[in-house]
Amino acid sequence: MLDQFKQQYSNKTIQFIFIDNQGGIIDSDQAFLQIEKEGTVFDIHPFFECLSAISEFPEAETTFNCVNITFDKVDYTLDIKVVKKKNGVLIVLQDLTQHYFSYQAVAQSRNESIISSELVVLKNLEMEERERFKNAFIQNFSHELRNPLTSIISITNIIGDTDLTTEQSKMLDFLKESNTNLNLLLEDILSISMIATGRLKLNNNIFSLSRLLELLEFTYAAKAKEKGLEFNLKSNIKIPEFVEGDRLRLFQVLTNLLDNAIKYSERGKVSLEVLFNQKMANSISMRFQVTDTGVGIPLESIPQIFESFSRLENGQNQNGTGLGLSIVNGLLTLMKSKIKVESAEGIGTVFYFDLLMNYPLQLASKPLPKSTSKKKVKIKPPKNGRKFRLLLVEDDISVGLVLFKSLMNTKHFYIDTLNDGAMVMNQLVNDPYDIILMDVNLPNVSGDQVTKLIRSFPFKNIKNIPVVGITANAYEDDINSYLAAGMNAVLSKPFEEEDLLGTIFKFLK
Amino acid sequence: MQVSKKIVVLGHFGVGKTSLIRRFVEDSFSDNYIVSIGVHITKKVVEISADDSISFILWDLEGTDDLTLIRDSFLLGTHGVVFVFDVTRPSTFQELSEDLKIVHEKITNVPQLIVGNKVDLVVLPELEALLKQHEISVDFLTSAKTGGAVNDMFMKLATLLTSHA
Repeated sequence: MLDQFKQQYSNKTIQFIFIDNQGGIIDSDQAFLQIEKEGTVFDIHPFFECLSAISEFPEAETTFNCVNITFDKVDYTLDIKVVKKKNGVLIVLQDLTQHYFSYQAVAQSRNESIISSELVVLKNLEMEERERFKNAFIQNFSHELRNPLTSIISITNIIGDTDLTTEQSKMLDFLKESNTNLNLLLEDILSISMIATGRLKLNNNIFSLSRLLELLEFTYAAKAKEKGLEFNLKSNIKIPEFVEGDRLRLFQVLTNLLDNAIKYSERGKVSLEVLFNQKMANSISMRFQVTDTGVGIPLESIPQIFESFSRLENGQNQNGTGLGLSIVNGLLTLMKSKIKVESAEGIGTVFYFDLLMNYPLQLASKPLPKSTSKKKVKIKPPKNGRKFRLLLVEDDISVGLVLFKSLMNTKHFYIDTLNDGAMVMNQLVNDPYDIILMDVNLPNVSGDQVTKLIRSFPFKNIKNIPVVGITANAYEDDINSYLAAGMNAVLSKPFEEEDLLGTIFKFLK
Repeated sequence: MQVSKKIVVLGHFGVGKTSLIRRFVEDSFSDNYIVSIGVHITKKVVEISADDSISFILWDLEGTDDLTLIRDSFLLGTHGVVFVFDVTRPSTFQELSEDLKIVHEKITNVPQLIVGNKVDLVVLPELEALLKQHEISVDFLTSAKTGGAVNDMFMKLATLLTSHA
């Protein structure tokens, strides 16, 4: 009686099957699998075919956990125990479908999460690799352009000193303008590359914000007038005259925004406003805002305008690489700010950003640091009329020739030339020199390495020779490393003749 | 004559072991990733000549990046091994020689194929360069999704099993 109830109510999750050594079913309690007792165990599921090799099983009892089988269209997950007996094999099936179902859900979630994170890491690596390639390309491209550009600028200047017809002078002016544009383009490309590679560092100093704004007003009022536009500058009265920040980079941000505003406006006005946000103990938050009445930007295109080399097809055939706003975005991120834009097509665009800058409390007691902007070097040839011995080390023939000609024209130098870094020390030992003008990127021994050798030389007449480096590597950290190697000054290609001569004469007495 | 051969298909999780078997047995494919736990066993009979056929009993083992965790009972009576990795995830083949060493300790003297799966997701020359960089030689590059080289791989295994016997 009880056996009957037990059979009716007990949880039927364990089934016993007894088979002979050939797999023939001798008995089964049919707890949950209703198997054909006349058949073989191999007919139940392919799993049981492994029992044909049971004689090779090392143990008398073998357990197979978590075996998934389908029987009569029902899926089971079983733990299966196989026990060798004297006259056959006992198979014990334990139905753990529910138990393993919950385990499966956990494993699913864990594996998916691991795979997703692996794929994210791989995707990031791929993107980083592409970015590295792009930046290396830009760097090399910028470097390779600097040498020929140096020659072009110098030759243009030399031609300018000759007798020219009016027409030739006009053409030369166009050439000079093209040189300037090409140089600015190179600077933009370099800025993008430096921002992307994290090599651009802010150089914060105290500077006159009002003078910066005056300069911008002077420049852009003229540019706007040329296009028949109005230009307005408004600065809140609470804006301090002096602030602490990177003047050059702020100038770069504002000129990029103003250039764009003028470029994309055919009528109306362009304005620059500096608004007061908030004043703290020794810092001030200001809003810089550039407004134009240009073509405007479609809403869906706004995210795209801050990407490098992107320019919108807005029906206007404008020049440019599309680097400006990308530079603005990168520089403002460095300054812990963010560029924002509001635009209406056909009405105009407002670009603005909030900037937190320190301002000096006791300016009077603090001397103002020199401006970080690039200044023209004054040429001051020594008054005694003496001629100097100069060693020019440059492997690029075209650059070397232009430098040679520029220096010879001054009539202040006797010049020897070399094109290999390994030959410099020998030359210095044999001949005395007043100054060395040396490219950094030289064959065999680089210019900075040669300079280190010079500075560690035991004799003062060689050890103390001024060395002016010239390089196509315009990165600040590169230049600093050349100065650290012992160079007295470094000129970044392309440079103007007056920069070259001004720098050299600075070290000659 | 028909012979029955137990083949274990193993490798890290998510490399496409189940998909390879499904492509071979049912000629179907699903993009949904369903984690296999424990073991799934399927059977497919392949004719290798007019008179002979092989009944593949394919043991699709739960994927793991620690092959020492594979239950020994699952490997009893194994006639052949297919080790699968995912060509898009270096973590599944970076330690291949170590993984194979573990497999060889557990299963000795049986034919074995090394298979790089999901080849449809990569550029072949880049993959070949990557495998060369990791000093990995594979027997087959398959795609369970397109079916590329899947049948060839199992037919090669059938040939190896026949000659091994």
